[in-house]
Amino acid sequence: MLLTPNAMGPRLRIGLYLTTAVIALFLLLPIVFIVLLSFGSSQWLVFPPPGWTLKWYEQFFSNPEWMASVLTSLKVAVITTLCAVALGLPTAFALVRGRFPGREMLYALFTLPMIVPLVIIAVAVYALFLKLGYTGTLFSFVVSHVIVALPFTIISIINSLKLFDQSIEDAAVICGASRLQAVYRVTFPAIRPGMVAGALFAFLVSWDEVVLSVMMASPTLQTLPVKMWTTLRQDLTPVIAVASTLLIGLSVLIMVIAATLRRRNEASA
Amino acid sequence: MSAVIKESAAADQRPLVSLRNLNKHYGDFAAVDNISLDIKEGEFLTFLGSSGSGKSTTLSMLAGFETPSSGEIQVEGKSLIKVPSHKRGIGMVFQRYSLFPHLSVRDNIAFPLSIRKIPAAERERQVDAMLKLVQLEQFAHRRPAQLSGGQQQRVAIARALVYEPRILLMDEPLGALDKKLREELQDELRHLHRRLGITIVYVTHDQEEAMRLSQRIAIFSHGKIVGLGSGYDLYQNPPNAFVASFLGNSNFLKAQVTGNASVQFEQQPLAIRPTSALQNGQQVLLMVRPEKALVLVQEQAAQTPLPAGWNEIPAQVSEVVFLGESLTCSVVTPGGCSLTLKALSNDLQPLQAGTRVRVRWAAADACVYIEWNESDLTKGAGSH
Repeated sequence: MLLTPNAMGPRLRIGLYLTTAVIALFLLLPIVFIVLLSFGSSQWLVFPPPGWTLKWYEQFFSNPEWMASVLTSLKVAVITTLCAVALGLPTAFALVRGRFPGREMLYALFTLPMIVPLVIIAVAVYALFLKLGYTGTLFSFVVSHVIVALPFTIISIINSLKLFDQSIEDAAVICGASRLQAVYRVTFPAIRPGMVAGALFAFLVSWDEVVLSVMMASPTLQTLPVKMWTTLRQDLTPVIAVASTLLIGLSVLIMVIAATLRRRNEASA
Repeated sequence: MSAVIKESAAADQRPLVSLRNLNKHYGDFAAVDNISLDIKEGEFLTFLGSSGSGKSTTLSMLAGFETPSSGEIQVEGKSLIKVPSHKRGIGMVFQRYSLFPHLSVRDNIAFPLSIRKIPAAERERQVDAMLKLVQLEQFAHRRPAQLSGGQQQRVAIARALVYEPRILLMDEPLGALDKKLREELQDELRHLHRRLGITIVYVTHDQEEAMRLSQRIAIFSHGKIVGLGSGYDLYQNPPNAFVASFLGNSNFLKAQVTGNASVQFEQQPLAIRPTSALQNGQQVLLMVRPEKALVLVQEQAAQTPLPAGWNEIPAQVSEVVFLGESLTCSVVTPGGCSLTLKALSNDLQPLQAGTRVRVRWAAADACVYIEWNESDLTKGAGSH
């Protein structure tokens, strides 16, 4: 018998609802707090806020350092996304369609950055870039972010490519399209949801990334999370709450886009 | 029957496609084992076999999706081996329809034309003609997912025909449809073939479908073609015991040769078709189709004299199964040989299990085989 809410009786059901609510609160409260604090008038992040104000937002948007970090974050995230899709697409094709020895091992290798502690990757990349003199450049941010974003992109594209019936591509070929034309005109549109999801994941990974970025950053080139981190160590100003709110806001927006796309895709399939 | 009559018309045409000593090996396994075959212009040829018999691999090599390990594929004398799939000008219909999910029915059918950069006006005209041909005009703007299986397959056929290929390959195109719809589409396909005169190579594991559609059938087993001919010939005169057992139902009797037209079966003399190169004492295999033999109860047999050129053996009924228009009767000979006989319901008196009967057949209706494998005699032997 399935333990559905109807079958479990009122007592158990209320218990289940309560537990769910507590877990949801536990996950959501820090986010709610930080958003509320960004509008609070107290300079010391007091909760509940004694009054409401937008002055921290004014400070944030009028500070060129914060603005520069937002711009850097966006730049890095967009370039990382493009690179992750450009690299992930052929990799996913090779891993799904390829018939070569060591394919499974290669797949494991590509997904390794999801398992290896971030700090280890960060130290390794930092050591390399320090030697090459690349730290503190946009390039170093992008390369290090692509390393951790690529597994998400590859897995997302692989999943949609595995669902795609290759005989559809063969049909395009026998209809007169070259293999490349067929992939471009038939396969890509069919796996687009996977590509878009992979791109959004890559963007999110880069946008939120802090461990690698702290290592790559210089005083003049920082991403938003890095700027928050360094500011936090000097003083606890509510401007940090503003930055957090913006960080969370964009992340939530992207997740909503991803969910909408997925739902639309499921509806049309 | 029309398929049989048309056969003679196609017979004197030159081959359009020639397969010569075609092989496809996967490691040690020969998926296609030295196949040679001529496909005539305008004919409907079916590759019939169980899964793993090599029929689909052969079709894939024709389409260019698989490269032969060795051998030659020619169309009008020109080799196709080095020609990539998209330049072969062949049409193909796949088992799972394989329509482009993001395009409308109209755009699916227009795809081959837009790849060929046909001007828009001409393209529209040809697509309209195709939509009419497969009777899907009112569905032109739907997506494939909004169509039934039968409609989707009609779109696939239209897409494969719109660029007027000379050869149409069909890989179990009706396999995913239910029986009634399948028969409807089989009729449509037969009419389409007659109207367009296109050469069709069709793959199926369904022998009834093969019979219904094709002018010629190539029976595949273990990567080889073991029978080739019209459905009528293959059924009436199977070239070997495997084809006899694979196609339809069959009864096999093992007998000892006593002359060039006589054998002994369970201590009784039987007449067979005059067969050359028989040696006395040699074992041969007789094959009688279930509907070619008559079952008579003892009294009937006593009243009806045995016609010249007929055989008669005694047997005992073990089971009678009523199937509506016909019934099948299983009998066992005194020597323990089981036979299954089929008759129209009206022709056979009700029989009880255990009744003693006489089984009769015309010697000319029994095929004689000198060589066979024991495994050929059980149905579905080709599936391993």
